[in-house]
Amino acid sequence: MYSLMLLNGGIGNRVAAGRPKQFIEVAGRPIIVYSLVAADAVPEIDQIVLNYPEGFREEIEHLVADYAVQTPVTYVAAGASRHESVAAMLPECRNDRVLIHESARPLVGTADFKQLVADPRENVSLMLPIPFTVAPVDPDTALVTGSLERDRLRNVQLPQKFLKADLAEAHEQARDRRLVFTEDATLCAVTGHEVHFIDGQDTNIKVTTPTDVKLAGFLLGGDDDA
Amino acid sequence: MPKSILITGASKGIGAATAERFFYADNDITDLILLARESEEFEKLIGRFADDNPHGKRVFPHFIDLADRARIVGLMRDVMAEAGKVDILINNAGYTAPCALQQISFADFERTMGVNVYAPFTIVQELLHCGNTFELIVNIASTAGMSGRPGWLTYGASKAAVINMSEAIKEELSIYGTRVVCISPGRCATDLRRKLAPDEDPSTIMQPEHVASVIDMLASDVGHLVDSQNFVVRR
Repeated sequence: MYSLMLLNGGIGNRVAAGRPKQFIEVAGRPIIVYSLVAADAVPEIDQIVLNYPEGFREEIEHLVADYAVQTPVTYVAAGASRHESVAAMLPECRNDRVLIHESARPLVGTADFKQLVADPRENVSLMLPIPFTVAPVDPDTALVTGSLERDRLRNVQLPQKFLKADLAEAHEQARDRRLVFTEDATLCAVTGHEVHFIDGQDTNIKVTTPTDVKLAGFLLGGDDDA
Repeated sequence: MPKSILITGASKGIGAATAERFFYADNDITDLILLARESEEFEKLIGRFADDNPHGKRVFPHFIDLADRARIVGLMRDVMAEAGKVDILINNAGYTAPCALQQISFADFERTMGVNVYAPFTIVQELLHCGNTFELIVNIASTAGMSGRPGWLTYGASKAAVINMSEAIKEELSIYGTRVVCISPGRCATDLRRKLAPDEDPSTIMQPEHVASVIDMLASDVGHLVDSQNFVVRR
């Protein structure tokens, strides 16, 4: 069985002035609801560890009840950074295997979680091939410094799955070595753990700007008939 | 997999015909939760089910006036305690007292909206709050909700609300995979129709069993192919 760590603590200044972005509505529902409901339909997830921005626990608890989420939820106060949040949530996970997702990705589907759960490998991330060209640059001098093979690069997505012990050890190393990562697949890989990837969906966008809110609303509106 | 069905207005008309159809069929519906006001018809239906239960189904009858919203809220908790879940919900109960605009009492308008609109809303919302998600919701509206007619102001307005509300519920509950269908029967031989058209010969129009057969179809595998925001049923 799996514990899902649902990251939900960040304040999205770019999207919703002064209000946590997980409360912004996409296609008529708070954005966090989509991830909760998708995870709730996965039988292998028997615990959701959910962090909340300070002052919003009650509101989050109401959403969980109102939207008929049946998987037991463990609430953890959000840390000052993503690193701190994951470090605080990990000990609350009661399973040896954990999934990580973030509420800012409302296009996640039950099938995404099931695909990860079904994968026989221990540490796996959804990732997306990069369909455009990227270049290494020196931002200080505005010089292009070389070239990158896009076939050897991936856009890192969530959800991801890890052995709890591997993730905990990676975070411990990061703390000791003062490494800062914005997500956990590369953190685990850099700290010596084997991490695999499988192709995700290009619709699984992270909502960070008002344009993203509109795009997610469009994508969640369902397929138009021909 | 065993399933449960909740039918409102189950004592007569379309509700009773639907209850009978699901009760006597050898299908995967094992629990029937039947809501209606206390009446001789309802007592008789419950008695018939108790006397002849060919498939050993469980029947949970509840006497309730659906204009009483506070009672609905409490009852949904009881329903979850006894049946554990509601897979299929048939919001059938309807009320009307046809009257010209000049003579409508506001209390009656409120009762019409209470039974026809607020009750199905409350049942859906409370069951969700109890942790229940649905496979199928069928809301019974009416062709009277599709165009205004003199004397039917309160009823027509309430059924128009049901049609619109069903569209919103369909979209909102899509995240659970719930199918939501709104049925608008045309002229159907029910007590309610008799109030709306007292001079009509009921044997010449659609019968409640016909509408029940459509509901049965919607609950079947074929029903998964029906994607309709307002499904007109008429003879």
